[in-house]
Amino acid sequence: MPAEARKSMIKIKPKKYKTGDIVKVDFIVIHPMDTGLKKDKKTGEVIPAKYIDSITFKLDGKPFTTMKVWETVSTNPYFSVNLKVPGKGKITVEYTDNTGEKNSKSKKLKPKD
Amino acid sequence: MKRRNFLKNLCAVSALATVATPSMVMGKDAPKQKPKGVNAMSYDSALNAITGGKPVADSPKVSLTVPEIAENGAVVPVKVNVDHPMEENNYVKAIHILTTKNGNARAADVMLTPMNGKGYFATRIKLGSTQDVVAVVELSDGTFIKASKSVKVTIGGCG
Repeated sequence: MPAEARKSMIKIKPKKYKTGDIVKVDFIVIHPMDTGLKKDKKTGEVIPAKYIDSITFKLDGKPFTTMKVWETVSTNPYFSVNLKVPGKGKITVEYTDNTGEKNSKSKKLKPKD
Repeated sequence: MKRRNFLKNLCAVSALATVATPSMVMGKDAPKQKPKGVNAMSYDSALNAITGGKPVADSPKVSLTVPEIAENGAVVPVKVNVDHPMEENNYVKAIHILTTKNGNARAADVMLTPMNGKGYFATRIKLGSTQDVVAVVELSDGTFIKASKSVKVTIGGCG
């Protein structure tokens, strides 16, 4: 799958929030997370390891959560952290996998005051 | 002569077999015999790599939510909540998710900052067999606390 075609999503829960509230920031990405142990059922060849190894959650360019991830995490992974809303801004999630594939996703943070 | 040789060989083979069986049985339990991933790491060495040999105490502050029985080991939801303030100088520094029997014991290391507002992390992990899921939490003063729970896995998820 080419890097551009990888689907990802950022969800902020609950949908309506104010400045100072603690919200959940969920990040979901369509990724195989291959362990390098599984065999292809048709050819019998081992599928090489391909997993996301680092994720950075940023707010206006300032990282607030960084993660190191291994292949133990499930296929099409989901990561959820909290964030105290400081005001308007932009959440960016950057991620890289072990093969060097880089990608990012952004979402605006719009508190309703 | 032929019969004698045959018996000799038989003895040798059976002797070999008796010698070989205990080591083979041990080998089955030892993780070295299993196919390992690129990052194979045992639980003890992973814990040591995180804490650097510091003591880790079980604490009621860490609440780990996992299902008691996971029918599908490929998708096991894990949720960690830490009952600790998130202030400038006193906050939850990191949450580590570990498994005790997977080929690679480490699942995720999450570095938090006071901007998070709360020590919380949730994800989904794979479990190869019935084992414990452990959440090791590092506080900003350098102390470690943990919580662990056992998960029964019906069908393994690392094939």
